[in-house]
Amino acid sequence: MNEKLPDSPDWTRREFLAGTSAALVVAAAAAGTLEAQTPGAAPAIAVDPAVPHSTIRLTVNGVARDVEVEDRWTLAELLRDRLGLTGTKIGCDRGECGACTVLVDDQPVYSCSNLAVWMDGRRVTTVEGLSNGGPLTPLQQAFVAHDAAQCGFCTSGQLMSATALLKRNPRPSAADVKAALAGNLCRCGNYNRYVDSVVAAGGGVRSSVGGDQ
Amino acid sequence: MPALNTVGHSTPRIDAVERVTGRAKYTNDVQLPGMLYAKVLRSPHPHARIRSIDTTRAQALPGVKAILTHETTPVVWGAGGIAGGQQYNDEVKKITKHRRYAFNNPVRFVGEPVAAVAAENRHIAEEALRLIAVDYEILPFVLEPEAALESDAPKIWPEGNIAVNNRNEPLPITQKRGDAHAAFATAPHVFEDRYSTSFVHNAQMEPRSAVAHWDGDKLTLYTPTGGISNCQHDMARDLGIADEKVRVVCHYMGGNFGNKNQNQDGDLITAMLAKAAGAPVKLEFSRKDDFIGMHGRWPTVQYYKVAVDNDGTLQAVQLRGYSGMGPYRKNSGAIGGIELYRCPNVDHVVTPVYTNRTVSANFRGPEFPQGFFGIQSMMDDVAYKLNMDPVEFGVKNMSRMFRDEVPFTNFTLEECIRRGAELFDWTQRWRPLPGADAGPIKRGAGFTYMLFRSGLGMSSAVVQVDANAKYTLFVGVTDVGAGAKTTMGLIAAEALGVPLSQVTVVWGDTDRCPYSVGESGSRTTIMTGYAVMEAVRDLKQQLAEKGMPTGSQTLVAKASPNPRLEGKVRNAFGAHFVEVEVDTELGHVRLTKYVAVHDSGRIMNPLTATSQILGAATMGVGMALHENLVYDQKSGQPLSAGFYYDRIPTHLDAPTVEVSFVENDDGYGAYGAKSIGESGIILSPGAINNAIFNAIGKRLKDLPITRDKVLGALA
Amino acid sequence: MKTFTNSNARDPQQAVKLARDAHAAGKAASFVAGGSDLLALVKERIIQPDVLINLRGLQNASEVTSSGGAVTIGAGISLDALSRHETIRTQFPALAEAAGSVATPQIRNVGTLGGNVAQRPWCWYYRNGFPCYKNGGNQCFSFAGENQFHAIFGGGPSYIVHPSDTAPALMALDATFRIVGPFGERTVSAKDFFVLPRQNAAQENVLGADDVLVSIQLPAAMAGARGRYHKVLDREAWTHAVVSAAVVLKMDGDVCRSARVVLGGVAPIPWRLPEVEQLLAGQRITDDLAVRAGAASIAGARALSKNAYKLPLTKGVVRRAILEARG
Repeated sequence: MNEKLPDSPDWTRREFLAGTSAALVVAAAAAGTLEAQTPGAAPAIAVDPAVPHSTIRLTVNGVARDVEVEDRWTLAELLRDRLGLTGTKIGCDRGECGACTVLVDDQPVYSCSNLAVWMDGRRVTTVEGLSNGGPLTPLQQAFVAHDAAQCGFCTSGQLMSATALLKRNPRPSAADVKAALAGNLCRCGNYNRYVDSVVAAGGGVRSSVGGDQ
Repeated sequence: MPALNTVGHSTPRIDAVERVTGRAKYTNDVQLPGMLYAKVLRSPHPHARIRSIDTTRAQALPGVKAILTHETTPVVWGAGGIAGGQQYNDEVKKITKHRRYAFNNPVRFVGEPVAAVAAENRHIAEEALRLIAVDYEILPFVLEPEAALESDAPKIWPEGNIAVNNRNEPLPITQKRGDAHAAFATAPHVFEDRYSTSFVHNAQMEPRSAVAHWDGDKLTLYTPTGGISNCQHDMARDLGIADEKVRVVCHYMGGNFGNKNQNQDGDLITAMLAKAAGAPVKLEFSRKDDFIGMHGRWPTVQYYKVAVDNDGTLQAVQLRGYSGMGPYRKNSGAIGGIELYRCPNVDHVVTPVYTNRTVSANFRGPEFPQGFFGIQSMMDDVAYKLNMDPVEFGVKNMSRMFRDEVPFTNFTLEECIRRGAELFDWTQRWRPLPGADAGPIKRGAGFTYMLFRSGLGMSSAVVQVDANAKYTLFVGVTDVGAGAKTTMGLIAAEALGVPLSQVTVVWGDTDRCPYSVGESGSRTTIMTGYAVMEAVRDLKQQLAEKGMPTGSQTLVAKASPNPRLEGKVRNAFGAHFVEVEVDTELGHVRLTKYVAVHDSGRIMNPLTATSQILGAATMGVGMALHENLVYDQKSGQPLSAGFYYDRIPTHLDAPTVEVSFVENDDGYGAYGAKSIGESGIILSPGAINNAIFNAIGKRLKDLPITRDKVLGALA
Repeated sequence: MKTFTNSNARDPQQAVKLARDAHAAGKAASFVAGGSDLLALVKERIIQPDVLINLRGLQNASEVTSSGGAVTIGAGISLDALSRHETIRTQFPALAEAAGSVATPQIRNVGTLGGNVAQRPWCWYYRNGFPCYKNGGNQCFSFAGENQFHAIFGGGPSYIVHPSDTAPALMALDATFRIVGPFGERTVSAKDFFVLPRQNAAQENVLGADDVLVSIQLPAAMAGARGRYHKVLDREAWTHAVVSAAVVLKMDGDVCRSARVVLGGVAPIPWRLPEVEQLLAGQRITDDLAVRAGAASIAGARALSKNAYKLPLTKGVVRRAILEARG
């Protein structure tokens, strides 16, 4: 989507402001086709050599990596700011909301509450690793179909918790889903949608939320 | 109401794939080359004068690039202060006595910005804050609105603690009709009671952040805003530059709920830091910063007096209300709800009061969830005292014209209530004798109804077609989570008579999109949606005259309609029915059934519209049962700033909400669309409270209805 | 976040040495296992370690071993694994339930038994950095403040409540705690592990700065007893106990041979109720007896200004937990 609005003399300033393009990472991608930043290509934060740091080896979304990290970096910082995997969100940075949930060795954890340096030898999966550029997983498809994401900020975390659940329990009940996702807040309150999505992805019968048939 | 081809059919969001793959870029996902990180130093005192600030040590910390304080940066934050419903009015900024700056001295609440630092990374910025030495002269403080009106209360402003309006007058909000005083003297039944509501934080999942970048004298600001045009204009005004010199970009944002349709102090601070540092800057709020540095819902105290005839006909309603605004009046502080009732005598006086708490302003349905909780609990209680079914009392006394004077464009409130009662099975679930169950677990049912503004107004849209019959819609929406860009695409596709897949939507960038009203007040579908229809109408006329463009040509049409209603008021209607189970031994409240019926006109997209209602109802559960920014009274410190202590609802707290729409097309707005986003939360706290009363026979009057209150009432 | 060095420990002895070395060098050191809570405290600068001694890599730290009915649980076992462990679920159900009730799945996946037992209070004065006893000060702000979640038993001079869910279950199961410290190993009973503020207002247990909690042993005598952990939360998920009760009943048919009843959320330590236990011992657990036990559970309780609701709540929780344990 690179359409430029044609100029037109009778448009008021408030209606349309002529664009000036800045050489910015996000600005370069027009709305509607925003592409994920390629890990490594994004401007990354650097290790401050004055601060204790370590080199770790971990696997992220199937790719083995040797990374230098400050000892104080959380896994969320490593993923977002160093590896450019910004699909993982930080909602509270205190283990209270679940937006930062990723899988470590297939188990959901809060990436804000685990240090990157502790991930040496571990296998990390983020939302970017679910479909890994390929077709959406059945769970992601169910999220789309059931309008699970409102603002979308908690969605990555909900997906990761639900992915782990479905691996352990392929046909969860609504109660199973609620228990497994209890550590993932959604302030849009779209919990009914999330539960329906996960139950449906497991092949179960969704509950009846009226109005959207 | 004849069905349409595209509008009215459940359609997944056009950006749903981005949202489920992590590709959707939110403000904090923006990384610019050479970008610095910023943090804000906040006041640890509820009220204090800053004698001096010493930033020497912070400046000397390696990696620190810029520091701002009230001394270096006396910039007025126009949208942060005197609102009175006119927060965008430049005149207000010039005349107001109670001016709010980006950095204020004295500081008037815990969390007020004192300084800001930009540094090479977030850890250095945080460390630098600790090296800023501030010498405070501690001033007395007051937290509660009624206490702030006592004659010996500390003065937050020299003129006193009644919040001034945009004419600098410390006046309450009043509404009078008939002679309530006389009615109280003669009516056979007069009831009085007091209700209160707490400060509830918007608590959207995305903590506030902003990225600012100057290219010469042009500012680009990435920020989570529901109103890119309003934010752009506010930024330009506050910085004293032309609107064209500000570009605001917001492609995705992690929830709005009312604290994002202006510029925020964080936006200003980020822009000024970027200027001072000569580099792009990203500001990051912690969750606690967001809870105490951003506004939430104003807490209220509501004293009602109600007069009723023997047959249950309302004769008079009086409200004396007090709203705690924090130390700045960022919004009205009104208390809605009296307009729900047909009543010849009304005496409504609401006083917005300054306090030394975090600032209060818009939060989803700004003045209504508080007021509807109060008056709908009060009237529910009156119904019981008259031995009437609350539903029948409501239907008997509900407004059928706006303020008993002006007709509505349509009126389906009774239909909403009747349908809700039927879907809910009210006659089976409601206990004529409250608290009648044997226990310890008791069930009960409650209901509330509402009407809510759905007015018309100005917005804009641009639509373009190229030689390949590819249509592009430019709208200045950002999509706070309600699905605006999808809704706009659906309306365009319907009006154009093409499938949605043939329409590309461009949004969220003031350099690319025309003005839109901003996603607050549940207005975008009505106003921008109508502008889309008008733009398409123009385009189709051009197509009829000129034919399809060829080669590299395009046809472009724009519209900025400003439709008006003549002699009518346009409202959405709704009714919520709730069944609760109260464990009277453990004080536990659980929602066991929830039915929500809404007339929001024609539903553009049942899929996303339903999400709005069930999400808002769930948010209302939090307001009803848990959420409250608790303050230590001695120190004026907030104690519950964060998701854990504030008890935001979890998956396990959310009821299954059954949503039903009473659809119609009154001929206004986009295909008859009315407001929807806010209405869901307006009804739930009152309905839950009324159900609790029905279950236990004790009337709770103060939100949130926590376990201690339930057990206290039962003791 | 504050800078610190992460040091991975291989075994408890090395962990202790790392701590001693750090302290000898004038550095602040903290042991960390799951780390969820610890990192939150570091981010808030409630604690400011220079060295984090990472216990995640300790050998065999999460093993559960049985010996003649007694069970030894490595302190490094995750709460999730503990809640699902077959032996624990069948032989010591109150502990499995308690572990499964902690926080959220994400926290239970990394949070450990040892960390849960030793976690710092969730009093909002402490967590907001007030200079209270727990933060090195000499007053308790809750006493005259917002004390709705504070102690009704055992308070003074600090009125925090012990935050652990597993601790009441462990005390009800008569657990013992194996600690490795600078002077070797020692074993401490649950009764002696937790300390009241009147003994030491700055901390909640006997662990010294260089001590590592290595494992927890459950006696054979408690294996197979009926058990229940009943937790009341302040929303439906992810809060600490407002009031909880761990009940373990040794039954002879329908007669209770002996009982242990320990409360959470009501005192600065897991709060044992000997009078209630005596009331149950030798009796058939009838509905009426459970009511009387509930009534007896608040003998000696003293409410603060805003937590009187915990009195009826405790009665109800104890009554229910006993009946649920009875089955």
